[in-house]
Amino acid sequence: MNNNSTIYATLAVYLSLFLIFLYGPFVVMGILSFQQGPEGGPQFPIIEWSTFWYKHILGYAPPTRIAPLPIGDALLRSITLSIATMIVSTVLGTLTAQAFRRNFKGAGIIFYLVVLGMMVPGVLLGLGTSLLANQFGIDRNWWSTAFVLHVVYTFPFAFLVMLAIFNRFDPKIEEAAWALGVDPLTTFRKITFPVIFPGVLSAMLFAFTLSYDEFPRTLFTGGADVTMPLAIYGTFAVEIHPNLFAFGVLTTLFSFSLLTVYGLLMAASLRRSRSSISGIQEDIE
Amino acid sequence: MALFLVLPLAMMVYVSFWTQTTFAISSDLTLKSWKTFFASDTYFGALTRTLKIWLIVLAVTFALGYPAALFIGRYVKDKTTQTILLVACVIPFWTSFLIRVLAWRPMLGKEGAINIVLQKFGLIEQPIEVLLFTELSVIVGMVQIYVVFMVGPIAFMLARIDDSLIEAARDLGASSYTIFRRIIFPLSLPGVVVGAIFVSVMVLGEFATAAALSGRKVNLLGNIIVTQVGSLKWAFAAVVGVILTLVMALVITALLRLVNLRKEL
Repeated sequence: MNNNSTIYATLAVYLSLFLIFLYGPFVVMGILSFQQGPEGGPQFPIIEWSTFWYKHILGYAPPTRIAPLPIGDALLRSITLSIATMIVSTVLGTLTAQAFRRNFKGAGIIFYLVVLGMMVPGVLLGLGTSLLANQFGIDRNWWSTAFVLHVVYTFPFAFLVMLAIFNRFDPKIEEAAWALGVDPLTTFRKITFPVIFPGVLSAMLFAFTLSYDEFPRTLFTGGADVTMPLAIYGTFAVEIHPNLFAFGVLTTLFSFSLLTVYGLLMAASLRRSRSSISGIQEDIE
Repeated sequence: MALFLVLPLAMMVYVSFWTQTTFAISSDLTLKSWKTFFASDTYFGALTRTLKIWLIVLAVTFALGYPAALFIGRYVKDKTTQTILLVACVIPFWTSFLIRVLAWRPMLGKEGAINIVLQKFGLIEQPIEVLLFTELSVIVGMVQIYVVFMVGPIAFMLARIDDSLIEAARDLGASSYTIFRRIIFPLSLPGVVVGAIFVSVMVLGEFATAAALSGRKVNLLGNIIVTQVGSLKWAFAAVVGVILTLVMALVITALLRLVNLRKEL
């Protein structure tokens, strides 16, 4: 047993080191985002603590030789694109998973075909699609070709999440509702949807974040108007400034608030289902 | 799905046989682009470099990820703590991928955080310069980004192992090491394979990390595709794309040979 606790302690220490490795760059990024501007570069030492780069991003800083990040339009495009992708992928994913509740002919092939969409690297799919678009003279745009690829990429994730939900779903409760003469639409609204809601929420979360951060596919098929990741990639070629780090901190905060909303909605839906169960129990008693 | 997934890949194979001149491309079929690829040291070198970096990253993510997953999956008994630890590993994933890559620059640079810390402790006299803009920095960056994909599946498989199995082995007098080698590791193998597939697919198709952390010195197959498309050399980019697809198909088939995933999951 003593031997066992040594292993435990060693692994615990190891895990903390591992987490430091994962978070190290973030801490450095956070510190450097408060670098003095506009002369301070993206490296140590900190000349003087300031919030200059945050102002620079938000457009409040006095004009300097450093061009502001082209975030306004790009951010808007990214968010529009990811919301559209989220809706389409979640709906498609739910419908496809619904179809997979029954075993139909060719289910195996279709399953692998769908899953292939998240496995094929973005570089290859992006390249192939842009070749195809060239061939048929289709213009490449972030809202057309890139959008399609975003759906191909995120739809499998939504599908797998929904499939896992439907696998645990007891079809008897739907049948019970039909047997009681409830029409299919009401059954879906009152019975099916509340049960699958946590899954739908997770699928939406996956689709949104994956699409928001998607880069290689958009690079090839996005056309002239850049999305957010492309705007960041564009700054690779030139010198980088701490404004990128400040932006990184801001986007991280944004992701966290998104996660918090997701967590709250999830908790609320759990609570609701619990209270409705206890309500039913009270009715029975 | 077939339209948007299979067709682009088929198109890529077709275009790879087109005739490419400096300024134009025509659909006369030829093997010229293929010959250029295998005749040129730059391009063939990129293939071997991609394979080398892939193998290193795969090995390192496994070596670093397995102990972490072992702790989360086997030694933390409480489900909530397990979830919290896993979420803690996934959180970095929520920052833009590109910004995460860039964050390694001030870490590894000549005046970067690592050099400063090492010098403070008097471990080194001169800053280490090989940290940034080398293959090493690309590998470090990729490992940090992709190691989570190794930890997740392995921890999942480890957490599913029935405790009574291990108790039985212990009652029969097996040592901790034997239990790990004969029971825990074989049962976690499907997780390792899933993790390895994730990491392989992503590392083989990678180009942004290499572009950001190598100062364009390390060219992977992905980087070549991007630059060739940038200079409108579609046929050549397609050749590289087909080669990348073949490599990836081989890797995944080999990994799937190791375990029967459909049976295990």
